[in-house]
Amino acid sequence: MNILGRVVWFAIAAAAAIALGGIAVLRGEHINSMWLVMAAACTYAVGYRFYGKFIAARVMALDDRRATPAERLRNGHDFEPTNRWIVLGHHFAAIAGPGPLVGPVLAAQFGYLPGTLWIIVGAVLGGAVQDFVILFASMRRDGKSLGQMARDEIGKLGGFTALIAVLLIMVILLAVIALVVVNALKGSPWGTFTIAATMPTAILMGLYLRYWRPGKVLEASAMGFAMVMLAIFAGRSAAASPTLAPVFTLSAMTLAIAIIAYGFFASALPVWLLLAPRDYLSTFVKLGVIAMLGLGIFIVRPELQLPAFTRFVDGTGPVFAGKIFPFCFITIACGAISGFHSLISSGTTPKMIARESHACPVGYGSMLAESFVAIMAMVAACSLHPGVYFAVNSPAGVVGANPPAAVAQISAWGFPVTVQEMSGLARDVGEVSLFARTGGAPSLALGMAQIFARSGGGKAMVGFWYHFAIMFEALFILTIIDAGTRVGRFMLQDLLGHIVKPLGRTSWMPGVVATSALTVAAWGYFLVQGVRDPLGGINSLWPLFGIANQLLAAIALCVGTTILLKMHGWKYMWITCTPLAWLVTVTFTAAWQKIFSPVPAIGFLAQASRLEASLATGGATGAATRTLIFNARLDAALCAILLVMVATILADSVRVWAGILRGTREAHVVESPFVLSELRAEEL
Amino acid sequence: MKTLRRAGELLWALLRELADENAYHRHLESHGCRHSGAEWRRFSEERMRAKYAQAKCC
Repeated sequence: MNILGRVVWFAIAAAAAIALGGIAVLRGEHINSMWLVMAAACTYAVGYRFYGKFIAARVMALDDRRATPAERLRNGHDFEPTNRWIVLGHHFAAIAGPGPLVGPVLAAQFGYLPGTLWIIVGAVLGGAVQDFVILFASMRRDGKSLGQMARDEIGKLGGFTALIAVLLIMVILLAVIALVVVNALKGSPWGTFTIAATMPTAILMGLYLRYWRPGKVLEASAMGFAMVMLAIFAGRSAAASPTLAPVFTLSAMTLAIAIIAYGFFASALPVWLLLAPRDYLSTFVKLGVIAMLGLGIFIVRPELQLPAFTRFVDGTGPVFAGKIFPFCFITIACGAISGFHSLISSGTTPKMIARESHACPVGYGSMLAESFVAIMAMVAACSLHPGVYFAVNSPAGVVGANPPAAVAQISAWGFPVTVQEMSGLARDVGEVSLFARTGGAPSLALGMAQIFARSGGGKAMVGFWYHFAIMFEALFILTIIDAGTRVGRFMLQDLLGHIVKPLGRTSWMPGVVATSALTVAAWGYFLVQGVRDPLGGINSLWPLFGIANQLLAAIALCVGTTILLKMHGWKYMWITCTPLAWLVTVTFTAAWQKIFSPVPAIGFLAQASRLEASLATGGATGAATRTLIFNARLDAALCAILLVMVATILADSVRVWAGILRGTREAHVVESPFVLSELRAEEL
Repeated sequence: MKTLRRAGELLWALLRELADENAYHRHLESHGCRHSGAEWRRFSEERMRAKYAQAKCC
């Protein structure tokens, strides 16, 4: 590096240090969101340039002379050498889901600082490393999946644990994101109308692509986008109509049942009719809105209204119960480190990498971009007035069901808010009420709407932007539900096919219906549980999702550590072992507390005991309480299963590592053979 | 100006990749066939089968 380069990188590193120091030290005054943006951007730049490149050059020894699977196995379908920026965009679009948007919004209850630091540090030292190492490993193994690599590198137990982890994550993920949609749409005729309108829109797109203009996906997506925009405007009229408004004003339970029914039918319908066209549309909308939010934050540069720390660092938070450690680190999963990414890094992406060196911007760089999305979500949430943030995100079971009681409680916590303020805000965005809209999506939409409105359109457009943001979130959540239910169905068919042969056939309709129903029933049960939960559902389901997701990350990091160990001995183990040790500590502590904490808001067993005592003393009666007791115990059992799985995969990996280090186990690196690349520069 | 044009081309290529239009073009080239409704349906069914055998990321 020349002198100028050194000066520039020193300046960037100094800017990162000053910004991080600034957000950590400044107290008692509102800070501008640009501090967060600068801290994140400069840290990412330094992390990428020095840590990412170090791993690429010294640890992985990426070699552009070596032909990648995309070149060697080129088939014009999956395996195709592709321009690095296109692969980066493709990979980013695949890993960016609701997680990095919702997690930071929920974790903002601790204040902006804990979540922001975890997002930045976690991504640079953990998430990006995991994605990069798994992408590299898969690329050197002909694009093998994480499950295959876990089986090959650790053993059959590792592969089996990965499979079960994926199934469990999917069940919990689908339930929790469905709950996010339910909470965003309950009692909202405008939102419900808009989301309902996306279904005929997607079907129309599907028919257009299949019969009228085959192959014209961009054309169909542009048409679909225009129709969705029209639906948002029409939604305002529907909400004002005395005939239509009651039809689209649905309770949480009705919405939950509607989403469950939708999941069932959508997973059994042909893919081209609903899922694929909506997936195209949601991908473009997602990328567009993320870019818009970034631009909006730069234009508006909002001040953060939430403090660096709130009083809820003590674990008594209304959004979810539990202290910063470990709950901040499992609430923000996807923005810092997400096990699910390892499935993408060992899925389509390694089959598209043209040059080995491209794995660094794609694997490491995409995760940094995803982390930046999480920072933007944090900015949007923290730019809300704290009283408003807590009024929207606190469940009725914590702050009271009627607005005066809720504002009294929230104001007593030191976050003053009034019924008039909340009513005015609800009126501005075209909603009846914004109280107890738990799940993170409504408060994120509110923050985004205010940023968008200040960027253009003013107060008159806040309602439109709010419902635009809700549409954006619900659109891709419904796609995940649809695709997830379908994948769950395939997995189940695969599994049950060993017992009853016809069930394994994807074309046998009774088998399709039965396995779709079973998959939907699994996540639907947890969704209904979340709707019935007096604490809002997010309090129990989101930590379960976070623990499950981090479990998958632990599996990925175990695979990564084993590979690094086989390549270099113990020398570079720390690269994956450091985030692994942190994740195991966090996951174990969180799971343990969720099961055994004596605080009923945290511990599932304590919650069940309290409800049982209440039942015994006559404080509570009926089947509903017995169901809540059963659910709390079920959640505890699920948590225990996750805990055992973390312990199992870790013990199995340590056994393998010890064998390699002692020399009693073969440390042979099994990679695809070296073939000299013949790709020409113009092909890239 | 050249950089801007290159960025625009890359963005367009990314959109086409995300829309599977590039993949369809490659499919036509590798199979030596011409675009038709039936060919698109054959391509998209195969592609979607592989695409939706994996869960979407959270």
